[in-house]
Amino acid sequence: MRLLEFQAKRLLSEYGIPIPKSVLAKSQDDLEGLSFPVVLKAQVPVGGRGKAGAIRIATQPKEAIATVEELLNYSIKGYPIQAVLAEEQVEIKQELYLAVLIDKLACLPLIMVSATGGVDIEEVARESPEKIVKKHLKPFVGLQDYIVRYLAKHIGLEDQLDGFRRIVNQVYSIFCDYDATLVEINPLAVTPNGLVTLDAKVLLDDKAAYRHEDLFVKLQEEQKKSAKSGKTGAEQLAEERGITYVPLDGNVGVISDGAGTGMLTLDLTQDVGGQAANFCELGGLAGAESMLQALEVVSASPHVKVVLISLIGGLTRMDEMADGILNYLEQHGKSRPLVIRMCGTKEEVGKARLRTAGIETFEDLETAVRAAVKLAEES
Amino acid sequence: MAILIDKNSRVLVQGITGQVGSFQTKVMKEYGTEIVAGVTPGKGGMKVHEIPVYDFVEEALQSHEVDAAISFVPARLAKDAALEAIDGGIRFLVVTTEGIPDQDMLTIINYAASKGITVLGPDTPGLISPGRCKLGVHPNRMFTEGRVGVLSKSGALSYEVCRVLTENGIGQSTVVGIGGGPLWGLSQQAVLKMFQDDPETEVIVLLGEVGGTTEQAAAAFIERYMDKPVVSLIVGRTAPKGAQMGHAGAIIEGEEGMAESKIKTLRSAGSLIARSPSEIPEIIKTIWSVR
Repeated sequence: MRLLEFQAKRLLSEYGIPIPKSVLAKSQDDLEGLSFPVVLKAQVPVGGRGKAGAIRIATQPKEAIATVEELLNYSIKGYPIQAVLAEEQVEIKQELYLAVLIDKLACLPLIMVSATGGVDIEEVARESPEKIVKKHLKPFVGLQDYIVRYLAKHIGLEDQLDGFRRIVNQVYSIFCDYDATLVEINPLAVTPNGLVTLDAKVLLDDKAAYRHEDLFVKLQEEQKKSAKSGKTGAEQLAEERGITYVPLDGNVGVISDGAGTGMLTLDLTQDVGGQAANFCELGGLAGAESMLQALEVVSASPHVKVVLISLIGGLTRMDEMADGILNYLEQHGKSRPLVIRMCGTKEEVGKARLRTAGIETFEDLETAVRAAVKLAEES
Repeated sequence: MAILIDKNSRVLVQGITGQVGSFQTKVMKEYGTEIVAGVTPGKGGMKVHEIPVYDFVEEALQSHEVDAAISFVPARLAKDAALEAIDGGIRFLVVTTEGIPDQDMLTIINYAASKGITVLGPDTPGLISPGRCKLGVHPNRMFTEGRVGVLSKSGALSYEVCRVLTENGIGQSTVVGIGGGPLWGLSQQAVLKMFQDDPETEVIVLLGEVGGTTEQAAAAFIERYMDKPVVSLIVGRTAPKGAQMGHAGAIIEGEEGMAESKIKTLRSAGSLIARSPSEIPEIIKTIWSVR
């Protein structure tokens, strides 16, 4: 889960990391107590806000609230602006970068700092990688002070070591305490009053949500308002059921019992001149109910002319997949042609059950894909 | 000889009394895998398909020699189970579980590494040496004994490809599922190295997918160390940016995560490229015919 800026900053602030005085602004009353000028920042879960004109400066309350009202009418990359953070402007002497994340290749936490903050760090990494200082953190050892001192020296921050040390240690604590996969402060501003977080990005591991239930519920509640607009019926249904669902542009609905074969089916569909309308992946432990639900989700899209089911199960059992398909047809009727490729554990039983209902299956995936694309063209 | 396991491997199953663990234990046993013990906390003293069940790994190890363990333990308990197996000193551990928190995986992978123990997974179907041993959940009949080593992030994609290979009379030495990520105990390079060193493997098939940069790391390894031919198939060519394609690791975040970038890097590292499963046997037959 990606936190909105104000949520990330609240978390940092709870750990004693300095942030500017700020408030979520809806009316002029909210702005009382802030010193002007203020920075007005749209709260959306995507980057590139500055370029989109969604970060503005206001010198007095009336102007501020007019800007807030204007911003609340916009969306950025499909996300409607539902909240605006008003933040006291601080005097910036220098902008730094600081992040703790998981290095997936090394399987270790990685701490990254740079004296060149405030810009897209991937661009810095591409163009002048020497400006980024990196240190892996060893599990069972964690963040030791020599690493903090090393980082401070290499970004020329030795004169502010105490403040830097506090922030780095607290960022690492947040990373560990909340199962974060990224805690990033960019920019971390050098100001006359020490180091201050101007923007922050925090990603939490959804797989660990059960360990932080109250926090996740609260964050999700706050984010509901800024959810992507224009969600389709199929997207909503998939979200309610926690099914992997990817909307695409074509007319073939694709369901698979594996991520790799699902992507392969989508690729092959395009290779033979077709295009998938959407994609549902059942996951390894799916049963009849998951298949029924996936069929409901995929069929909820009006663009789907044919449903292509690509099954080659190890853990998924074909007897159960067949039951799911038959249950769907019993409940909803056959509104569109189904093309089924069935292979794997208990396939004899699955195929026999489908055959009893007059449904034939394909053995070969590429043949099934061609059949589905042809049917979609004809309908 | 196959890699990582052979027909003499003695196996312990963690989570043997669960629905999946029990069913897959039966299938593995029928395949010829020597399963000597199972562990489920609180179920010690039971038997599952004639196999004795213990409360703790340590208790199982008092009565049995164990070379490898496979875990079907649910995500929330998976770290505990894996650390218990590592503490017991079992040399090779297969973690089939999907959805283990990343920080739990960091602990498991790094603790195992500190003891010189190999972890395959998580979110893996395991591995199979056709005709000899299976430590996983593969549908048996798609595999046949031979000289092609296969490694894959996706279990289902490896079944798909091996089914096509088998139909074309091309058998496999070992088929290794490294898992759906985003963290991997055994990397693609590590498995490539094992295949390079395995005298029975002549050609390697690498099945990769969009997201992350592991295929780029694998390409660098191929360029530097591999002299056996590698055939790569990367799926997700049509995957949109930013969409989670079913695996935790299969999400395109940057240019390097895109299929075309991986394909280009692998090709320039000397790997042959297939765009569909049916091209793979054709490429392998060409390799064998020119030799």
